[in-house]
Amino acid sequence: MMEPKYQNLVEYFRAQMRKDPDMASAVAAIRTLLEFLKRDKGETILGLRESLKWATDCLTGEDSSVAVSSGGELFLRFISLTSLEHQDLSRCKKVMEERGELFLEKISMSRTKVAKLCHTFIKDGAKILTHSYSRVVLRVLEKAAAEKKRFSVYVTESQPDSAGRQMAEALRKLNVPVTVVLDAAVGYVLEKVDLVIVGAEGVVESGGIINKIGTYQMAVCSKAHNKPFYVVAESFKFVRLYPLNQQDVPDKFKYKADTLKTVQNLSEEHPMIDYTPPSLITLLFTDLGVLTPSAVSDELIKLYL
Amino acid sequence: MNEEELVEYFRAQMRKDPDMASAVAAIRTLLEFLKRDKGETILGLRESLKWATDCLTGEDSSVAVSSGGELFLRFISLTSLEHQDLSRCKKVMEERGELFLEKISMSRTKVAKLCHTFIKDGAKILTHSYSRVVLRVLEKAAAEKKRFSVYVTESQPDSAGRQMAEALRKLNVPVTVVLDAAVGYVLEKVDLVIVGAEGVVESGGIINKIGTYQMAVCSKAHNKPFYVVAESFKFVRLYPLNQQDVPDKFKYKADTLKTVQNLSEEHPMIDYTPPSLITLLFTDLGVLTPSAVSDELIKLYL
Repeated sequence: MMEPKYQNLVEYFRAQMRKDPDMASAVAAIRTLLEFLKRDKGETILGLRESLKWATDCLTGEDSSVAVSSGGELFLRFISLTSLEHQDLSRCKKVMEERGELFLEKISMSRTKVAKLCHTFIKDGAKILTHSYSRVVLRVLEKAAAEKKRFSVYVTESQPDSAGRQMAEALRKLNVPVTVVLDAAVGYVLEKVDLVIVGAEGVVESGGIINKIGTYQMAVCSKAHNKPFYVVAESFKFVRLYPLNQQDVPDKFKYKADTLKTVQNLSEEHPMIDYTPPSLITLLFTDLGVLTPSAVSDELIKLYL
Repeated sequence: MNEEELVEYFRAQMRKDPDMASAVAAIRTLLEFLKRDKGETILGLRESLKWATDCLTGEDSSVAVSSGGELFLRFISLTSLEHQDLSRCKKVMEERGELFLEKISMSRTKVAKLCHTFIKDGAKILTHSYSRVVLRVLEKAAAEKKRFSVYVTESQPDSAGRQMAEALRKLNVPVTVVLDAAVGYVLEKVDLVIVGAEGVVESGGIINKIGTYQMAVCSKAHNKPFYVVAESFKFVRLYPLNQQDVPDKFKYKADTLKTVQNLSEEHPMIDYTPPSLITLLFTDLGVLTPSAVSDELIKLYL
């Protein structure tokens, strides 16, 4: 009974990802959950919520990024945040579906909102340093380029998957002068740049971020060189975690989903993400506004209330 | 001895003993060049030796070859050359050259002897890329029956860290290779950081494989001691104030400098670590703080 449902779920999720590679994996996950909600044949609200939680866990097993997990939880909270005192189950479901569509619509606009807020911080002639491949940062730089600003970008190569090269390719298409630097060359190149912009895979309760490995040392070096360190993230990435150091981040986020399933001894594996404490971040640009790290906890609590 | 023979002898020396520092091979080559030189004047001899050093720097662009060659020349000339006979002067210079070579062959052992006591039992050490000096230090510590584990950075673009990991596994030291990007991640787990140096500059800072600078910044942020191990022939007369000040001839490999037009497209191979981030330097002249390095350097070059 469970197997075909699981297969369908994962298949739909993958199809969504393939259809639009520019879409955040969390958005694809939320579409999948909405579809799952529409097709669900449960008889009780409680059963429905349990099924949705189960579906979110399945998707986290497929794509282990923090945003899928937080996005799924926020989706569930949002659709339940309404009066469900109807007599008819199908009416309740309809209300939930409508709210689900509303949620999806809101988050599809979030990247544009973030870009609109952030591009003004990029001055003409700026040299920007960014880390690995982030679609949000790409959107911000697209907007800045569209506003006829001249800037050049340094991207880290970002091992082990060399995602930075993908970012460099995308930036070359925008006719932005881009240089790929080694992960080891971040300290070397920081004296030349004016500002640092990175994306985030997750934003934690303290105002810190979880992002591709290498972000933390970029933040430490930026602080040492007194360069502003900006983070761009959509609000569905706000997650209920409070890590105090690198060890506190749960293993399920640190490694790719297939690594977690196949590998026995995780200490041999390269972690894919690290945690950057809020003290190193200057500002976070989200669709809820431009926030300082301390303001993030307030916004996060409001989201999850 | 013309340029080809010089370079060939240098390469033969490097091949014969891969464990030898390239600067030591360069000094052996210069000594051989001195022996075979057919010049008629002392001044001509010095000019030839300078030319030979430049040739070798064109072959292997590391800072140590350049500084080693200069220190060799200074050392052998630092004697009374008031003899009547040119051949007698040359003999004196050759003897001093042999003495210099002998001293520097012992330097790595001296450094290891000084440094290994700083590695406590159960320590977790972080190191960067492949350094034969650091390897010697860790060998000595392992020989003293200390238990420690090592994290090595992979050190792109040539993955030299993997070579270091191999060598450490042969010593039965538990070693983990980490990504260059994972230095900040792993620093909370380690107790101390030990790196080698390609050159030690006048300010007390070091020039080393790219990635050393950010390792030093992160160590400072985590309050971990950052130790440098270097032999004294690596002391070089440079005073960079930032990364840009390091001359291009040291930043890239020798063949890159010859072939590539636009150096801004190339990945630099080294970076400069300022003295404020270094805790102690272990050299064959003793254990020095970065501020003491300038004194020692001036004494060497006087």
